[in-house]
Amino acid sequence: MTPLLELDDLRASFPGPDGPVEVLRGVTMSVAAGEKVALVGESGSGKSVTARAVLRLDRDASLSGRVLLDGKDVLGLSERAMRDVRGARIGLVFQDPLASLNPVMTIGWQIMQPLLIRGVKKKEARRRGVELLGRLGVRDADRRFDDYPHQFSGGMRQRVVIAIAVIAEPALLIADEPTTALDVRVQAQVLTLLRELAAERSMSVLLITHDLGIVAGFADRVVVMRHGAPVEQGVVDDIYARPQHPYTRGLLASVPRIDDDPSRRLSTVDEAALEGEVR
Amino acid sequence: MTAVTGVSALSVRNLVKSFGGRPVVKGVSFDLAPGEVLGLVGESGSGKSTVARCVARLTKPDSGEIRLGGRDVLGASRRELRTLRRDMQMVFQDPYSSLNPRMTAGALIEEGLLVHGIEPDRRKRRDRATALLETVGLSAADADRHPRSFSGGQRQRIAIARALAVEPKVLICDEVVSSLDVSVQAQVLNLFRDLRERLDLSILFIAHDLAVVHYLCDRVAVLDQGSLVEIGPCGEIYRRPAHPYTRSLLDAVPVPDPAAERARQAV
Amino acid sequence: MKTAVADTVERGPAVPRRRRFAPAGRASIVDRVALAIAGLMVLIALVGPLLAPHDPYSVNLGQALHAPSADHWFGTDANGRDIFSRVLYGARVSLLATVIVIAVATLIGTIVGTLAALGGRVADEVLMRICDIGLSLPAIILALGLAAALGPGLRSAVIALCLTWWPGYARLVRTLVRDVRDAEYVEAARTLGVSTPRLVFRHVLPNSLDTLYVQTTLDVSAVMLVISGLSFVGVGAQVPSAEWGAMIAGAAGNLTNGWWAVVFPGLAIMLTAVSFNLVGDWLRVRNDPTLRGRRS
Repeated sequence: MTPLLELDDLRASFPGPDGPVEVLRGVTMSVAAGEKVALVGESGSGKSVTARAVLRLDRDASLSGRVLLDGKDVLGLSERAMRDVRGARIGLVFQDPLASLNPVMTIGWQIMQPLLIRGVKKKEARRRGVELLGRLGVRDADRRFDDYPHQFSGGMRQRVVIAIAVIAEPALLIADEPTTALDVRVQAQVLTLLRELAAERSMSVLLITHDLGIVAGFADRVVVMRHGAPVEQGVVDDIYARPQHPYTRGLLASVPRIDDDPSRRLSTVDEAALEGEVR
Repeated sequence: MTAVTGVSALSVRNLVKSFGGRPVVKGVSFDLAPGEVLGLVGESGSGKSTVARCVARLTKPDSGEIRLGGRDVLGASRRELRTLRRDMQMVFQDPYSSLNPRMTAGALIEEGLLVHGIEPDRRKRRDRATALLETVGLSAADADRHPRSFSGGQRQRIAIARALAVEPKVLICDEVVSSLDVSVQAQVLNLFRDLRERLDLSILFIAHDLAVVHYLCDRVAVLDQGSLVEIGPCGEIYRRPAHPYTRSLLDAVPVPDPAAERARQAV
Repeated sequence: MKTAVADTVERGPAVPRRRRFAPAGRASIVDRVALAIAGLMVLIALVGPLLAPHDPYSVNLGQALHAPSADHWFGTDANGRDIFSRVLYGARVSLLATVIVIAVATLIGTIVGTLAALGGRVADEVLMRICDIGLSLPAIILALGLAAALGPGLRSAVIALCLTWWPGYARLVRTLVRDVRDAEYVEAARTLGVSTPRLVFRHVLPNSLDTLYVQTTLDVSAVMLVISGLSFVGVGAQVPSAEWGAMIAGAAGNLTNGWWAVVFPGLAIMLTAVSFNLVGDWLRVRNDPTLRGRRS
């Protein structure tokens, strides 16, 4: 069976003052249909660039390698064909819900857009939008449909962003740090919603995050990235129980846990020990 | 509350502050014992940063009382306040904006020694700055570099060294590790642990991350919409939260353990 | 994104923060030429009189209105004075007057702007209203008035310009200082117990005045044009003086039979104005990372 999304030696570089800077140095990974995969790494690991490369969002990035969606390479697609991929096949949720919503349009208008541009009738689009918003836990969805983004709290805004991303029923949802700006209780609610939504629609999810805690409760598989390439990937339980790579081990040991004895000293990533291994 | 005011490093009584008529802090009281690390946790909008800013006198509260080692902070004159500030230092959340970009690491650390007249001799001041750099895990050679050439974790170390230079009795830390990567965060947390053992320092540690507070603090105070809902030893509160709000917070904290997470979701 | 405050310095290839990797305000060829010309003009202002082949004020009617030649590179004017020498001398007059105006205006503007930004609401209101009055005065009217009171001359023009130019700087400085006033490192310095003067001179001003320096460079051309203009209409430098505007005014009547007497001082004004403008623009782009790479 071909996976839904397959990255094969994906490389990305950006123009720099002294020539191109390679930011992704060969990312090979895949997301199967209905699978939830987490892409984990610290800042500078290239996890966000990977997600953006799949949708070709960075115009000044030069990409090489292959990004196969349903077996077809999207790197070769025209800009017009790419527009169909974004939204219809792949939905996207960013970290900052306020920045990704248009402040002068009602949230209803924004939720309906992906349907309207694909020829769905306005009445039908509104019905589906209100239903989805209600499903995402926005109370009084019908009335609030005509409100503006600033009238919503951070957590509610993120639900609106999720609604926009999934209204056209994409096969894959890419969520880039979707809960980092949210308080811990709202984060838990949003993650639960994402999990339920993925199950109901057998939608695949690629979750980009720095938080090893939320990965454990969300993903089926995890890809650990560092310096623009995966250092380790596998089933979540295996990676957490038996991390093979010293970087993964260091990362897991540096997370403080509320279920741990606080007198145990946190260990940190041993940069020196990693030096030889990375390149 | 059982703490005896006479021995508190810092005592806060009935602190009230509102912005534009909207109450943000509604009568918060707590004590910080000498050598203690007290965590102040809450969600955004809980007023925890406002409490920190009031204590540091960056914002003037509407009413209440703040005593630093028995001395009145709110009633202090400008001059008294400057001397008070020597005993109470603050470290900010974002090390990218809390260091003057035009000063070298050395100059930043020396500034407190200079303005408080602690070390008038230039050479000795320099030596103390070097020693402080080494205390926080940097080296003497770093003294001449500007903030922009350091990473986020290193900058936060400089900010800590700068605060420690004047040998304060109380350190206020406002979300000091929340902008750092996990591996760097662990290093800075460990630095705080080492410092509290070596120096006799009381720390008011404001954070939204309950796991971080669990790791570092002796006691924890939980703030919800401007009021303290619960305060007590970390061990007790994390094991048996008395207040439903605290419980809901703790229930939402993710744990990096797939089995534990599955068990929790099943509930 | 959280990576906005990321830990990227000592690690491997970082996610590019676009601004850091954009062409970092490097000087293009045009910028370099402009820098060279501006530098040359300053040099001429300093040592020009030493280079001048003739006395710029010696009248020799027998040599009046000679076209450019090997002896008189820029020709001579109606009084037989060597225009090349006069242009060299004029650089000092024009640039010096400009520098005085900008220095005085910057000093007053910085003091007033800083006081307005840091001095509380009443001080802010009062000072800004005074600025409004200053901004509403046209330089030329004031110069005419001063010329009537003090007698026409470069001095009147310079005073008039100082009086009308500083309010713009005061407003700019006020905005710049207000931006920095609430920066976290200023608060950090406050909690450290730093005194107010030190706070202002060590933490606030050094971080707010970059934009001001750029503005003053950009203003060199504007001020110089106004001074030359005032001289041209007769309320600035007076006719025998080797000031570029005054030279043009004096030669305007002979435009048809002695174009060089107008064109060369005009060229000097234009070159200086354009080069300082370009240098200012380059400085602006170099200082403002958000503009980097935008310029083609």
